[in-house]
Amino acid sequence: MGEIPVFFLHGLVYAGLLFLVSSGLTLVFGMMNVLNLAHAAFYMLGAYFSYSVLNITGHFYLCLIICPLFLFILGMLVERFLLRRVHVYGHVQELLITFGVAYIITESVKWIWGNYPLGVNLSGFLTGSVNLFGLFYPVYRLFMFFCAVFISLIMAMVLYKTKIGIIVRASVDDTEMVNALGVNVPVVFTAVFGFGAALSGFAGVIAGPLLTTYPGMAAEILVDAFVVIVIGGMGSLGGAIVASLMIGELQSFGALLFPKLSLALMYMLMAAVLIIRPSGLFGEEQ
Amino acid sequence: MKQRSHASLLAWGTLILVAGVLLPLAVRQYQLAILTEIIIFALFAVSYNLLLGYAGLLSFGHAMFFGTGAYTVAIVINHIPSLSFFGAVILSLSVTTITGLVVGSFLLRHKGTPFALLTLAFNALFYAIATKWHSITGGDDGLSIFRPDINIGFAQLSTSSIPAFYYITFIIIGLVMLFSWYFTRTAMGQTVLLMRENEERMKFLGYNTNVSRLILFVFTGFLAGLAGIFYALFFQFTSITAISIDMSTIVLLMVIIGGTGSFVGPIIGACVYIYLQDFLSDITDRWPFIMGLIFIFMILYVPKGLSGLIYSLIERLRGRRHLSRKVEIAE
Repeated sequence: MGEIPVFFLHGLVYAGLLFLVSSGLTLVFGMMNVLNLAHAAFYMLGAYFSYSVLNITGHFYLCLIICPLFLFILGMLVERFLLRRVHVYGHVQELLITFGVAYIITESVKWIWGNYPLGVNLSGFLTGSVNLFGLFYPVYRLFMFFCAVFISLIMAMVLYKTKIGIIVRASVDDTEMVNALGVNVPVVFTAVFGFGAALSGFAGVIAGPLLTTYPGMAAEILVDAFVVIVIGGMGSLGGAIVASLMIGELQSFGALLFPKLSLALMYMLMAAVLIIRPSGLFGEEQ
Repeated sequence: MKQRSHASLLAWGTLILVAGVLLPLAVRQYQLAILTEIIIFALFAVSYNLLLGYAGLLSFGHAMFFGTGAYTVAIVINHIPSLSFFGAVILSLSVTTITGLVVGSFLLRHKGTPFALLTLAFNALFYAIATKWHSITGGDDGLSIFRPDINIGFAQLSTSSIPAFYYITFIIIGLVMLFSWYFTRTAMGQTVLLMRENEERMKFLGYNTNVSRLILFVFTGFLAGLAGIFYALFFQFTSITAISIDMSTIVLLMVIIGGTGSFVGPIIGACVYIYLQDFLSDITDRWPFIMGLIFIFMILYVPKGLSGLIYSLIERLRGRRHLSRKVEIAE
């Protein structure tokens, strides 16, 4: 039974990745009431950008900074010039516009980088394995996990210890009241949307070398991230952590124990949660 | 006023009927094939618009019914020998309808954004089943079928030629389309429309809104399934494209281009989309990108779609400004 710890670690790594993607999604949803369908497209862009930046500069660590920054700007532009324009027409139009953005990003990626998988080649100590209590485990997966934990800790610090965090959390609760108290809510929206895009892009950068970089990667993680926020409850960060861990481990052990059923397991879990608690484990009752 | 609109409807109906019957004599096979495809996708788009335009439910998973229809018809034709044309269609329709009922009872506990999200997840589930269940669905390879002949007691009608299949599609889908138009005029159809506007009030008036919504959902699944069945019969092939999220995207693009505000909007959208695709794919491989730009443009600048544009143009030409204002309020 030597596989169990390995698969447990695999599950943790994927959970970290899922949390990076779904936390931005759930924050934006909690605040703006917009489900950003382009979120996973930002993740994919992160992976593709890092492929190009790595090819040009040769430094992977540079990708970790440049790519999220770029997506931060792109996210803010999308919010400011597309999303805000349709805000007055209601939720359906908002969803549709993010859908359109996702569609265009996917097509542009196919256009620029081609409709085939790309391999991201790392070098240096990230490619090796490390001895964990007699268990050899790839360094890169550990690196991914620690990146995810590190980013989550920073996010928690910002959200719970700073004034910006208070404003963001208050906006999630009651946007109108925060607006009435004199906070420039539209600017906060733009920033949070950009931040979510950057987070998703960061996840894409670290996912690139492990999972293949190809035009279908967005749709793949999008569905997983959606399942996470449905199970965790839409708008709940704590729920996103718990649900990410559940889905990560479920997929990992599902692949080990029931290879044919691993996908169905995730949906069965979601269906069960929906029947018992339609608003998700940590979601507010409607 | 009412008399007049009836007369114009009748005139339009006759025009479409005559044009539909005579067209195969006038155009080439290739054009006829495209026309058949348009009719099939028009039904798919109309069914989608019953959800989006009439009930205000945004779904990203309408392909699950389309694909279920396409797959079941292929499976039943391949597995049940000497199954008749209508037997296959009716069997597949009942499977799709049951699917709609099961999925609907799960999904319709939610509205708005969670509903949209769940439709996407369910579509992904259907897609996963279609790709993984290789022994039944053929996985990535898809399923090929032969169109069965139609047996009408004393004679066999061959369905293999393009004009023959065009006529069958035109008649059956035309009738179904007429029925769904009639459906939007019935009390049931109007209930759905009013529910979108003010559900609380409808509840207070004693309507069971959940049941109405479920009936509508199952009905749209039924229509999309029929479109899927004809899609599979038309291409004589079912592939995972039919059940993929791409297919849900296509129908969404059609409806947005055509406009959600009227019954004919999606039909116009399907026409424009298929012709545009046919035209653009000759010029460039990047036609989906151009479709995406058109989609964003429509949402930003023409939220009522082409049909809205046409209506306002007609109103302006007739100079009936008071009427156009009335329409706006009604919407």
